[in-house]
Amino acid sequence: MNDDTLILYYYNDGLSEDERRHVEAAIHSDAAVAARYDGLCRQLNGLADVDTPPVPAHTVQRWHDAIDREARLERGHVQQPRQRAFSGFSFAWGAAIAAVLVIGISLTMTGPDPVVEMPATTTSAFTRGVQVHFRDTYGQLASMPIEASADRTQLVLQIIEQNRLFERAAEQSDSDDLARVLRAFEPILVRLAAEDITPQEAAALRAQLTFELNVMLTKLSRDSSNETGTATTGIKT
Amino acid sequence: MVANLQTREVPSQADFHAAISDRSDRWFAACLKITRNRDMAEDAVQDALLKAWNKRHQFDNTARLDTWIHRIAINAALQLLRKNRPAAFEPLETDIEDDGETPESVRAGQELGKTLSAAMTHLSEFERICFVLKHLEQWRLKEIAAEVGSDVGAVKQGIFRAVRKLRVRMGHLQGELK
Repeated sequence: MNDDTLILYYYNDGLSEDERRHVEAAIHSDAAVAARYDGLCRQLNGLADVDTPPVPAHTVQRWHDAIDREARLERGHVQQPRQRAFSGFSFAWGAAIAAVLVIGISLTMTGPDPVVEMPATTTSAFTRGVQVHFRDTYGQLASMPIEASADRTQLVLQIIEQNRLFERAAEQSDSDDLARVLRAFEPILVRLAAEDITPQEAAALRAQLTFELNVMLTKLSRDSSNETGTATTGIKT
Repeated sequence: MVANLQTREVPSQADFHAAISDRSDRWFAACLKITRNRDMAEDAVQDALLKAWNKRHQFDNTARLDTWIHRIAINAALQLLRKNRPAAFEPLETDIEDDGETPESVRAGQELGKTLSAAMTHLSEFERICFVLKHLEQWRLKEIAAEVGSDVGAVKQGIFRAVRKLRVRMGHLQGELK
């Protein structure tokens, strides 16, 4: 009777009924096997899940906000009149969809080579789309009313929707850093969409967002000016 | 709050908030054990929450909402890991230890606790995933095999190797503590 069999017996998984009965009989009839099984049980029971790391409060808050945001978006969709369905459709949406399609097609059509040489135009199309999204957002925030209103909420919800679209596109194109930046915008936007914040808080959030957008726009233009010929990506087929 | 779900059709926003407040630390801990990466674990929990929210109409209300989300979070963590480190799902034929202690894994180990997490840093990724899903998450061998895209035999071997290494490591650690 080896320890591997005893491990499966301990987990009550992976042994047939006959095998289980055989192990049970051995444990009852053989003191050495019983002692080994006893030791194994003690050690495996000792490998318990004792410590759980604390999750930072801001992370938990982000998860709460994510649910609130989804609920708001859902309500927004329900409340939106049909003719407004395309009101948020902008070049940014088109660029993001186009980028996802281009990436999808390039992945489908490429051979078995695990590393795809992605044409610079593909990455550039996506980058340009993100830049336009950031510029649009910047402009929308600048003209956004600071006082709480249905218009402000609606506008921010539209920005959140666009942001999520680009976040998904970034994930699809393995631009993890960009996806993370886009994701980081969400809690601030969600807070800005809330109706119970003061004009001062709204102004502070808007300032924070415009600052971050500026930083990202600068970084993206610097990156695209450094881009040459083709860009190698880690996208696997 | 969670128990009240048995009489409801669809979990509400408040139910989700209650589950997050009560259980998100456990979801996070479980995802961290799978990914050994704090960012990935946080993302996995968020992905799971969004998925659960969007599929809440499919929730079987004889189960617990937090348990359901926990399971979705584990799947999300595995998905993220597969995307970022596909080699983690390849069982090793030989009994090689993964001694590659990166600063990230050391930090993850410190966050996971003391002895068990320290010992787990010596498992290969495949062994760790198999062990965590079997021992800490109580998945069936067949479920693990399906999730990691392997067969039950390979999963068993992964668990055997993990337990063998952990027994040795934990013995050392306990010896050092005495």
